[in-house]
Amino acid sequence: MHIHSNMKMSDLVKADFELLAVLQRLKIPFGFKDKSIQAVCREEGIDLNFFLSLAKWFHERDFFPGETLMNHPVKWLVKYLRSTHSCYIDYQIPRIESEIVLIENTDQSSSRNMKLMLNFFREYINEFTTHIELEEKTIFPYILQLEENLAKEQPDSDFLKKIRNYTIRDFLGEHSDIEEKLTDLRNILLKYLAPPSDNCLFTNVLIEIFRLGNDLRDHTILEENVLIPQVINLEKQFHKKFPQE
Amino acid sequence: MAKVLIAETSYLVRRGLINLLEHTEGVTELRAAGHAETIMQTLKEFSPDILLLNSAVAIPVSHEELISRLPDKARIIYIINTPLPEDSPAYQISIFDTKNRLSEKLSIHLQHYKQKQTEKEETEELTPREKLILKHVALGLTNKEIAAKLYISTHTVISHRKNITRKLDIKTVSGLTVYAILNGIIKMEDIA
Repeated sequence: MHIHSNMKMSDLVKADFELLAVLQRLKIPFGFKDKSIQAVCREEGIDLNFFLSLAKWFHERDFFPGETLMNHPVKWLVKYLRSTHSCYIDYQIPRIESEIVLIENTDQSSSRNMKLMLNFFREYINEFTTHIELEEKTIFPYILQLEENLAKEQPDSDFLKKIRNYTIRDFLGEHSDIEEKLTDLRNILLKYLAPPSDNCLFTNVLIEIFRLGNDLRDHTILEENVLIPQVINLEKQFHKKFPQE
Repeated sequence: MAKVLIAETSYLVRRGLINLLEHTEGVTELRAAGHAETIMQTLKEFSPDILLLNSAVAIPVSHEELISRLPDKARIIYIINTPLPEDSPAYQISIFDTKNRLSEKLSIHLQHYKQKQTEKEETEELTPREKLILKHVALGLTNKEIAAKLYISTHTVISHRKNITRKLDIKTVSGLTVYAILNGIIKMEDIA
């Protein structure tokens, strides 16, 4: 399928429902009627090219539109990443957790093993939440302030103090690999656990863990290949515009 | 298990070969390049086991020189822009070849890389030694502590751990602990 601006938004979703995730994260409401992608984007105040680049990437997986995405205000990407976070924390992760609990309760023969998996997953949730909190409370606000202050005649003194001693590169070091544990969980469930009696429920948990894993990988790609290079660029511009005395 | 590089100027032929090779057993990684410069560059970075090279591409080096830049036992298969006779050798494929014929020729080459790998991968069971290391890892010991306990070097412990992770597909300590409990290597009470 060739994705283009005059295509109906509903046709886009019909052709590839995984794109619903992109719509959800850009907070595009449903009820498209016969509106085109272009019309929906205009109504929602979303840049058409930004949307098209993301949708094409998610659909085709052929090339990564890093440079195209970098040409847009960084706050859009931050908004996108933020809704991705809340999607994980408020929905996907609690759902997987409750499904593991359900297996533990219904399947007597494997309840001990499921208890073990549950503890493992909860350990993961803690790590994951810490990671996300760091981004939400420290990294994203810094990025948004950077973009705002760069546009000003004179940057806020508080921010100026902050940026003289900080760069996004510091964050790269802390950007720990959040996928590892999830991959381990997936592999243990898939390869080493005795088959449970409720196969349907179990399969579903696995599918959701696979989905979350893929989604996290995309998330990391966006952060490491678009967000961070873009911020490094903004930092350079900032130091050039407001040189240190 | 072979890494394959397609060096072909024609977009259509390149796409066709990519499509075919993506669905061919034994191909682990696939790259494609269309210009002599990118081909030479990719050759260096990617070091393919099999190079599919269109004979019409103007490569700046001779066949012998090209061979010497590839890893040991690497092969070059030439893509020829004209039809080939029935009995053409396996190191030549034609853009006129049918899918079956192409698959046949390619599989002859890929076979050589397959055998090598199966011997290596057959034993995925942990050795008794690896199980012992895993037990200590699961109990929360550091590499250094394990080394001291078993009178081996830290380096040996690390190398055992690498093998354990590769065999089990489990990277994190918590994951390894779960595996150890599931398989009775340690008891749940041991880590409480």
